Amino acid sequence: MNLPKVILEAVDLKYAYPDGTSALRNVNLQVERGERLALLGSNGAGKSTLFMQFNGIYRPNSGCIKYQGQAISYTNKALIELRKKVGIVFQDPDSQLFSASVYQDISFGPLNLGLSDETVADRVKQALKDTETTDLEDKPTHLLSYGQKKRVSIAGVLAMEPEVIIFDEPTAGLDPRHALEFMHLLKKLSDSDKTIIISTHDVDLAYSFSDRVAIICSGEIIAHGEPGEIFMQPDLIKRADLALPWLIEMHYELVKKGWLSPSTPLPKTKEELLLTIPKKNQQSA
Amino acid sequence: MINIDCYAYSNNLKTIHPAEKSLLAMSTMVVCLTSPTIITPLIILTFMTGGIIIKAGIPSRVFLNLMLVPLSFLFISVLTIAFSISTDPSGFWLAQTINGLTIGTRYPELVTAIHLFLKSLGAVSCLYFLALTTPITEIITILHKLKVPAIITELMVLIYRFIFVFMETATTIRRAQSSRLGYVSLKSSYRSLSRLFTALLGKVFVKSQELYNAMSARGYTGEINVLTKKYPVSHKNYLLIVGFELPLILLNLLGR
Repeated sequence: MNLPKVILEAVDLKYAYPDGTSALRNVNLQVERGERLALLGSNGAGKSTLFMQFNGIYRPNSGCIKYQGQAISYTNKALIELRKKVGIVFQDPDSQLFSASVYQDISFGPLNLGLSDETVADRVKQALKDTETTDLEDKPTHLLSYGQKKRVSIAGVLAMEPEVIIFDEPTAGLDPRHALEFMHLLKKLSDSDKTIIISTHDVDLAYSFSDRVAIICSGEIIAHGEPGEIFMQPDLIKRADLALPWLIEMHYELVKKGWLSPSTPLPKTKEELLLTIPKKNQQSA
Repeated sequence: MINIDCYAYSNNLKTIHPAEKSLLAMSTMVVCLTSPTIITPLIILTFMTGGIIIKAGIPSRVFLNLMLVPLSFLFISVLTIAFSISTDPSGFWLAQTINGLTIGTRYPELVTAIHLFLKSLGAVSCLYFLALTTPITEIITILHKLKVPAIITELMVLIYRFIFVFMETATTIRRAQSSRLGYVSLKSSYRSLSRLFTALLGKVFVKSQELYNAMSARGYTGEINVLTKKYPVSHKNYLLIVGFELPLILLNLLGR
């Protein structure tokens, strides 16, 4: 089967909240199948609003959202189909978990897809396993820690087995260890051919995780491309109230001071950067 | 209340089928409330206390504290039944007459009072047994299976969940207020409390909208369907329940 390369697309999207605040001015964004896209933007730039459009919760004032090249329709049936393919993990797990039972909450999504009880039970089991929450299934949601709630809310979306998973500020409020574990989970999901979109203002995370970066600023996508290219434009980053990833700043500094040759490729991880730094006697040799 | 909730999830009887626990608690309560003798409530009270402390492993101190809650109400109501004031001193069993007024208790009234006291306490122990061993979520599932309208069970699910969310929010707001001396005087306490409620009300609307969005994102179309965990059904437990209730019912019939 020949599937279109672009799985999800926003075309000339405009959206204003009922009170008149214009949230999305003119958004054009293409999401490719299987990629890891990071949507970077400061607070209130319109990241969450755009995500709600991707899943059909908000309806654009003009423009449209296309899934696999087709503009989405807003009939109940079509929306269920869309939500089967595009899942959102919301920022605040407390507003996503509606049931006090972990098991019941995870089963909610897949049951809405009209699956049989047996299939749903299997999916819940798998989702619990994938998010390492199996030992939490008998616990009530209100006795879980923030990180645990977050993982349960991810399990609730994974159990629906969507093709595109959108994570709104996934590492906000997580301690470094759990944030790292979460990134491993994201990589695992990405390796199983899921398309991952994350929103964040953590530039380090966006830089090392994503294949592509889009920058949103006051309701407009002002740049998108490979992380290496995007972060080469300090003016752009500044305009969007963001900062440069520390890896890139360090790399620049090392090149400027002559420790690295200008042709050295940009490091993607801390380990890569450390490897490129030569020993002192090697340098003089 | 929060204590009860914690024990419901962590007691030694949590693996028992919730329907079995509910049946035991509810049928025992009915037997207790319909009993014409003092013996049945006494047996039930002993049995339920044993069930809660020994079988479910709830610390006896916790259970005792919980039983003290209805005790104060019970004492007041029972006293008004047992004791009466009259100008006629005849018929009193234990009484004191002052200036022609007799305050005291008559024997049948005392028996009624003690009977009522034990019946109430027995029924309360049945309810505590259910509340301490069975999570609300499981009780809601049983109500759903008993064909209680979905609107009620769905509301119960959401209310139960959001009691905790809002309690947490309220605690945070209160803490933030106290740290800025919001509760130093009576006047500032009133003001802070009113602001707390206002803030909470605003949060309720925001949260409910967020919840609706999040549920829609997972395909919500107006009906909350969830899968419940399967518990092993034990025929032995059902036999035990029948074996326990039948003698008590017989005792009730004989005591008539």
